[in-house]
Amino acid sequence: MRNILAALLLLTTGRAYTQELFVYTEPASNMSAKSLGARLTQNFSDEQGRLNYMVKPEVMLGLSKKLMFHADAIFSSDRHNSFGINGAGLYAKYRFYSIDEVHRHFRMAAFGSYSFANNHITDAYIQLQNRSSGYEAGLIATRLKDKLALSAGASVVHALDNRRQLFKYGDAQRNALNYSLSSGLLLLPKEYTSYQQTNLNVMLEVLGQVNLGNGQSIIDLAPSVQLIFNSRMRLDLGYRQPLLKSGYRNMSPGGLVRLEYNFFNVFK
Amino acid sequence: MKKIVLIVCAFLGMTATAQVKKVSLQASGLTCSMCSNAIFKSLKTLDFVSDVDANIKTSTFDISFKPGAAVNFDQLKKKVEDAGFFVANFTATMQFDKQVLNSDEHVNVHGMLLHFLDAKGQTIEGEQKLKLLDKGYVSAKTWKQNNKLTKMECYKTGVAAACCSKGSGTEGKRVFHVTI
Repeated sequence: MRNILAALLLLTTGRAYTQELFVYTEPASNMSAKSLGARLTQNFSDEQGRLNYMVKPEVMLGLSKKLMFHADAIFSSDRHNSFGINGAGLYAKYRFYSIDEVHRHFRMAAFGSYSFANNHITDAYIQLQNRSSGYEAGLIATRLKDKLALSAGASVVHALDNRRQLFKYGDAQRNALNYSLSSGLLLLPKEYTSYQQTNLNVMLEVLGQVNLGNGQSIIDLAPSVQLIFNSRMRLDLGYRQPLLKSGYRNMSPGGLVRLEYNFFNVFK
Repeated sequence: MKKIVLIVCAFLGMTATAQVKKVSLQASGLTCSMCSNAIFKSLKTLDFVSDVDANIKTSTFDISFKPGAAVNFDQLKKKVEDAGFFVANFTATMQFDKQVLNSDEHVNVHGMLLHFLDAKGQTIEGEQKLKLLDKGYVSAKTWKQNNKLTKMECYKTGVAAACCSKGSGTEGKRVFHVTI
């Protein structure tokens, strides 16, 4: 595992597309048109005393200034500690509203995603692009004012059966409402003089899910720190702390490390 | 006769180039350097652009052009929008031969149609700084407020209407609304 981590850290990173660079949610802003991005996310979580390690490589495509797509694959360890590909997913986002002023904006976007997962199902908590098969559709609104960005999102998610196991909690529990509130603050540099300065952003996000069948829920607080080097390299470090003791989810969500890279103007 | 017209048009075409000395634009919707970098890289892909000098703090970009290249304002605006942002301010430094500016008149400056919104019959010559007021070159709020500066349809549409062309054959041609 150490070798994997070392190799991941050696990857060149860099992206320059949006400033509301939330770690756990997507902002309403889009990538630059005609750009391609690559992302590698690692999650470390505790599932009933067992370390669950997930690696998610992701490719992002800015089709136009308003429309973007992601495709990802999930590699994780299963209950027998065998590590391999355990899922894949697709994501699309369409920015339909934008009012901009100098150093400010208000934007709204609609998004949808689909994932499939191989995992055994151990609780009714639905987490797409991770442990659950299913689809999701929702809205995001983001406000940027100088160095502070605020975002709110809401979506409906529907669980399908996983490849290895059927969803065993009844059809009523296949639907849930996801919601999020994210804030991000640009701390450094105090004043911009060049693209070579290191940026430091801090984020605080609240992430929740309410199951529409049984009313059970989780709510997490997710602080994160982000470093940007040379206006090209992005490193995210986040941690998701549950705020409620809940029987809805038997996994503690844990920490996240992410690297990103963008290829500009890849096609005409 | 056709040959003479063609030669004149070719001449006008040639002199239409190298008339825009530089453009200074300010982008809206961003604060951080990575976003500024997106706009910087986007502008640099235009083949008529020679250099872009970015000021991250003010979100401004001073753009210089290749000698003899035809400068297209709409393409510059599109590149900012493709990067995910918008133009808040756009000032072009242009070279003029002796030119009289009358109110609500379309002036053909070496192939580019300009509509001076604050003209008072003055004469201009040499290097001048023009601020563009068209849709997409100022904030949406400013553009709405500016609609009271002229009754002519072209400010809303960005192209010369039948009323503006006065038989000059410019109906449907792109016109830029400026102040000096």
